[in-house]
Amino acid sequence: MAALTRESTLHLPYLLNKRAAVILIVDLAAGLLCIAAAQTTRSVWDGIYTADQAKRGKLIYSERCFSCHGPELSGGDAVPPLTGSQFLSNWNTLTLGDLFDRIRVSMPADKPGSLSRQQNADVLAYILSFDNFPAGNSELEAQSLILKQIKFDAFKP
Amino acid sequence: MKSAYRFHRWSGHLLVFLCACLAASALAWEKPAVTESDWPTYGADLKNTRYRPFDLITAANFNDLEIAWQFKTDNLGNRPEYKLEGTPLMVKGVLYATAGTRRAVVALDAATGELLWVHGEHEGSRGANAPRGLSGRGLAYWSDSKQARILYVTPGYRLIALDAKTGSYAMGFGNNGVVDLKLNDDQDIDLVKGAIGLQSAPVVAQNEILVGAAFLDGAAPASRTNYKGYVRAFDARTGKRLWIFHTIPMKGEFGVDTWPNGSVAYTGNTGVWTQMSIDEELGLAYLPVELPTGDFYGGNRPGNGLFGESLVCVDLKTGKRKWHYQLVHHGMWDMDISSPPILADITVDGKRIKAVAQPTKQSMLYVFDRVTGEPVWPIEERPVEKGDVPGEWYSPTQPFPTKPPAYDRNGISLDDLIDFTAELHAQAINQIKRFKIGPVFTPGVVSKVDGPLATLTLGTNLGGTNWPGGSYDPENHLLFVSSCSSCIVPIGLVAAPKTVSDMGYLSGVAGQPARALAGGTGAGAGADALTAGNVAAMVPPPPPKAKLGSTVQGLPLIKPPYGRLTAIDLDKGEIKWQVPFGPTPDVVRYSPALKGLKIPPTGEIGPSVGTLVTSTLLIVGDGALGTSASGIRGATLHAYDKFTGREVGSVYLPAPQSGSPMTYLLNGKQYIVVAVSGGAYSGEYIAFTLPSQ
Repeated sequence: MAALTRESTLHLPYLLNKRAAVILIVDLAAGLLCIAAAQTTRSVWDGIYTADQAKRGKLIYSERCFSCHGPELSGGDAVPPLTGSQFLSNWNTLTLGDLFDRIRVSMPADKPGSLSRQQNADVLAYILSFDNFPAGNSELEAQSLILKQIKFDAFKP
Repeated sequence: MKSAYRFHRWSGHLLVFLCACLAASALAWEKPAVTESDWPTYGADLKNTRYRPFDLITAANFNDLEIAWQFKTDNLGNRPEYKLEGTPLMVKGVLYATAGTRRAVVALDAATGELLWVHGEHEGSRGANAPRGLSGRGLAYWSDSKQARILYVTPGYRLIALDAKTGSYAMGFGNNGVVDLKLNDDQDIDLVKGAIGLQSAPVVAQNEILVGAAFLDGAAPASRTNYKGYVRAFDARTGKRLWIFHTIPMKGEFGVDTWPNGSVAYTGNTGVWTQMSIDEELGLAYLPVELPTGDFYGGNRPGNGLFGESLVCVDLKTGKRKWHYQLVHHGMWDMDISSPPILADITVDGKRIKAVAQPTKQSMLYVFDRVTGEPVWPIEERPVEKGDVPGEWYSPTQPFPTKPPAYDRNGISLDDLIDFTAELHAQAINQIKRFKIGPVFTPGVVSKVDGPLATLTLGTNLGGTNWPGGSYDPENHLLFVSSCSSCIVPIGLVAAPKTVSDMGYLSGVAGQPARALAGGTGAGAGADALTAGNVAAMVPPPPPKAKLGSTVQGLPLIKPPYGRLTAIDLDKGEIKWQVPFGPTPDVVRYSPALKGLKIPPTGEIGPSVGTLVTSTLLIVGDGALGTSASGIRGATLHAYDKFTGREVGSVYLPAPQSGSPMTYLLNGKQYIVVAVSGGAYSGEYIAFTLPSQ
């Protein structure tokens, strides 16, 4: 048995790899611009959907998402989960807009794009409620550019 | 129904290679024009070793790898795809791959990524009804002295032959380049609605094309009746069917007596949906067969049900069975045989054995003499627990290999629960009281609100090792495999009314109504653009009442490692080394419950990933996103020392590895190509190579 040393070496190659480093710098610059412009100060912990909206989303989920993602949002053999450690880890630090767009573009798998933006926002609200993010007083917007200002933080900042 | 599109006809300029290829080929039949530098079939070779004897990329320079080219697949369908699982082929300087939501085929200049041609099929409702949509896992290459062809299976289950140079239909093959796989299958299949397909690559050996079958996810099928997943071989020149192997035997055929009560008539599935392996010298093909209809309930199919979850060896020329070994009797865990059998020539106690090694979802490696089917190390039938689900039939024993040891967890005991702190461990023990837990082959339960809600075990439908399989280093007789150590899938059953399904019991949770599930990835993904009225006015069932609760304070119930990478010495039948694999998940890294604790690398949560082995390195990319020590989000393509498991190099990936890496030599350079996608990142092939100085 050998110990895994990846943690200690992980950052080095990023810097050694010139192309990656350039991309990184460009990305960082772009990221800073985005932050400056969009003020990504809100997160999924700030009560960004309402309980009523999640209720509507639950019904839509039941009709259109349940068949693959299942009753527990846990996915299956070839379907990613929408809850739990794997889901939260993979989306951590991205924005709700990223998740919204992913749903908007590729879901439901049998008829991609067949849900309205409002329906997608409602489903997203249901996923957030299932995953124990707090509800609040205003509904989740149905525009990805606005949702990109809301950070998906797995833990309360 | 179908239309094709293509552009930029290929201009042949690789005569130099052609000469080299013809010289290098040493095969008995008409010589395929491929060279040692190529990657001519899904698994590198027909033995599915995922090995190439290249040594230009080494531990000393792996960190210097830079991106040679990137190929984004968004526009190959009517929307971007987020699940790119392909392994490309590279033959004579051209890289061939499937990609995009319609499973288009692209030919790229392997040095620059320039698009040479593209072919796509618009299959209308037939594509929309496909059980396994999206880009698929790959394609096959065939050539003789006159021509070269690319072969692939569409989501709608048609075998397409294309001219490798131009991408146009290969004339003389089937009906203008197309063989309809829903025909001539010894059963009647609805051409439009029949939910049968195949996401894996066809396999070409000598002048034959082997094709299996795949279906919708079987956790909660709408019926116990389904199509049968036979294996067929077709002539690579004409498309004519050469033979068929009935994975569910017909009347009078061997094994039909393992299906009591007439269940052989209606039971389906039992397909080969993963890659098959072939020994061309022996003239034998190895078929890894999945389980019959009903992933978690087999009450409608009493008996052992051959050839469910069996490794079957057939004659390559005739399809006649030579031997078989059933790895799971009367399966009800969706273990399938999910990964390619690996053909390995090994030396055990001084005796040379042509072996076949089968990695599995249950993380047991089954090793056989591939000529005789005899286990290399004894496989024991051991008694297993009998369950009490009404109507279910239980096999009293299951086979357990005595060597090598299971290479990952395939069950759950209290010792496997989270133990970062005593408090977390106590919470997990309390939480798990609502479930039945147990070792491999622990039966599922009827879900009850007051418990047990479900059986929790490991090594079931997600694996362990799933479809990416492993790889094999023939120089050192080492087999490498990744596996999920934490992929829990609760197995609870609920009675289903006849109006929902005639299965009797379906996968589900107490307190929620039984529902038949589609569950297949990309089912219907080939659908055309929307028309009005898609959103059917359905009566929604009542929403879930209670959560199963698979986490403790947001952390996995199971303690790390969550994923592993293992090397197995196949001469000794022993684990040579094992390391946690993949990034520590953010939910663990940043968990408030673990503040102040030093958490060693845990490995990733998620299904297994494909490995690549060369003369110098073991290469594999993260299957999940993580955050590096310096705070960078992304994934990593790793290089490991083959003999110790020590990481010796890494490069950044913008998204997780979603298809298995491959490698080739071209113009004196070694390339590594890997498919990445997932989350917010749509499908992309990335090629790495060393800088030119």
